[in-house]
Amino acid sequence: MISRLLLALALVVVMLAGGTSTYIYLGSKQTKVSQAPLKPTATTPRAAALNLPGTLYLTQRGAVYNLSAGRFHQLTSEAGYMQPSLFPDGGNLVIVRQFPTYSDLYVMNRFGGLVRQLTDNAAPPRAGDIGANHWSFYPRMSADGQTLWMTYDGLKCSGCYDVSLAVWSMPFGGSIRQARAWTDGGYYTGGDVQPIPLPGGGIMYTKYDYASNIDYRLETKLVSLLWFTNRINSVGRRLTDPGADCRSPSLSPDGTQIAMICTYEKQISYLTVASWNGSTIGPLKTVISDQLVAQPTWAPDGSGIAYLAPGVAAGEFQLWFLPRAAFAPPPPPPSPSPTPGGPHNGPLPTPSPTPPAPPVKPIQITMYSGFDATSTMAWAR
Amino acid sequence: MSSVAGGFAYFMPAAQAAIEATGQAIHVTPSPSLLFTPTPTGSAAPTAAPVTGAFTVLLLGSDDDSKFIGDHVLTQSMILVRVVPSTKDVTMLSIPRDLYVHLSTGGYGKIDGAYSYGGPGAAVATVAQDFGVRIDDYIWIGLLGLVKLIDAIGGIDVVTSNPVMDDYYPADILSSWPYDYERVAVLAGPQHLDGLHSMQYVRSRHGDLQSDLGRSQRQQQVLIAIRQKAKHVSPSDLPVISQALGGELKTSIDLPKVASLLPLAASFDNPDQIRTLILANPYTHGCGCPETYVTANWNLILPLVHQYFP
Repeated sequence: MISRLLLALALVVVMLAGGTSTYIYLGSKQTKVSQAPLKPTATTPRAAALNLPGTLYLTQRGAVYNLSAGRFHQLTSEAGYMQPSLFPDGGNLVIVRQFPTYSDLYVMNRFGGLVRQLTDNAAPPRAGDIGANHWSFYPRMSADGQTLWMTYDGLKCSGCYDVSLAVWSMPFGGSIRQARAWTDGGYYTGGDVQPIPLPGGGIMYTKYDYASNIDYRLETKLVSLLWFTNRINSVGRRLTDPGADCRSPSLSPDGTQIAMICTYEKQISYLTVASWNGSTIGPLKTVISDQLVAQPTWAPDGSGIAYLAPGVAAGEFQLWFLPRAAFAPPPPPPSPSPTPGGPHNGPLPTPSPTPPAPPVKPIQITMYSGFDATSTMAWAR
Repeated sequence: MSSVAGGFAYFMPAAQAAIEATGQAIHVTPSPSLLFTPTPTGSAAPTAAPVTGAFTVLLLGSDDDSKFIGDHVLTQSMILVRVVPSTKDVTMLSIPRDLYVHLSTGGYGKIDGAYSYGGPGAAVATVAQDFGVRIDDYIWIGLLGLVKLIDAIGGIDVVTSNPVMDDYYPADILSSWPYDYERVAVLAGPQHLDGLHSMQYVRSRHGDLQSDLGRSQRQQQVLIAIRQKAKHVSPSDLPVISQALGGELKTSIDLPKVASLLPLAASFDNPDQIRTLILANPYTHGCGCPETYVTANWNLILPLVHQYFP
């Protein structure tokens, strides 16, 4: 009798354990697709991070991090920070802080402390129109540190639907009333963004426009174009074709190359490089075509390009680094030539062919981080 | 047996939600107009067509916030999707929501009103009769449903085509006052979008010169991105997804067909085989009138539709 009771109890225990185990097992088989990314500081970057020069600034969920000597450090809380950009001397950063209805630019020191506010884009307290707020994005300082460049929606009219961004310049330390629009922002296009002040004068930026405005035979479809201008309110000059759909330019430290992404009007994003002589761009060369590349950024020593791209298909954006050798291989060593009158007699030996160098591949620096892919990165020496 | 019970307990919420959401019968509202009696379509009496054959689904997306009463919502998005399993070809045709058509419920109006007058049956019948296509099934999703779906699958990767800036975007979800506005700035380029920002990207139209047409292109981009991400979802994720979608998704596709479609969806891995069609000029023309109707050039639309939706 007791043994039957024990048997029944044992069966109940086994059934409970079996059912629960199955439930837990199935739960454990859930994919990690919806798992939130980890803070960069909570993971160890790949060993290759140790080889990256200088200090790289980037953002995750509105918090600023830097990567220095192979380790990430969190500089701010998750408070809407994005698009850090370095002062010419590398001492401070200019950064965007985005709020629900406006964004402002700030000077931030290299430890994440706010030094000063540069814009005041919030609508006056009594403004009844939400459109009285403004956006400022993509700040850049001029080489002499005197001028702040940015994209700003200051050309919109009250109550209008067109909120296209335009490229503006403002004296550093001045007010928005002293700012001047360099471009017209287009008409219902999204506008002109990502200005880069050029060492030789003028600016390069990304212009969004309808392809049919460039060439009437093309489809009325919004595309991105790299654009150059060296005078305020001038039409400027197109640098890339509408079909290439290029954006996010980054100038190499020596000023001779541009890295960008080109999307060819599709849901793709190729890392592309081209030569640059200060006013003219060379042929586009696709460097990476199998990743969704965002925010290419040159290393301060020119040793390669950092960028953001998903670590796994359709996943969050991780930090990657492409060594320069991948797209600008070093020239082959000169083949030894026989010295005339030298000690060698008889037929010359056939030089053995140099084995081809193994292809240089992108290096994934982080695995689980999920960086803000619309936020530019800043890389200091 | 206990293991089966454990599995049953695990999947029961998903199954319950799936049973509630799937296999919805399509009640076609008879048209009071003799001229435009709805064409009998497969949708009126859905049959369990084998998944090996081509099929057409009407995707419907609605504002279903508190401005609307019950199921009387407008369909902000109508996309016809034809899937040919044998060739792995997918064609998506976005129908402008302001298209001025004969409604299956009678009279004329914007096509986005069909659903509000007669539910999914009227929307299906209107598209079927005006475009001359056979529609096998429909899938309807509400605003919050799309947000939750994208969040449940962990977000999607999209190359947003341009900065989408909108100063008067409706603040009608997750808001106590559905007539309020908010400012939206979805910056351009490759990025990982969560549900809320995906919704802003596909729904905003004030800053787009092409208005609803531009928005349709963005909706197709997001649909393709969802399909791409869905390939990485396993059956064990279904309870979480179904819980997220509760009440925000309805479809006439029954459960056995959903099960048979899952492996099919995973086998479509070539994005170049997804054809996207937009009915821009010269297929449609904005009339410029206050009601913002879009008129159809049926002489061009019908041959296009018959080519890709035979």
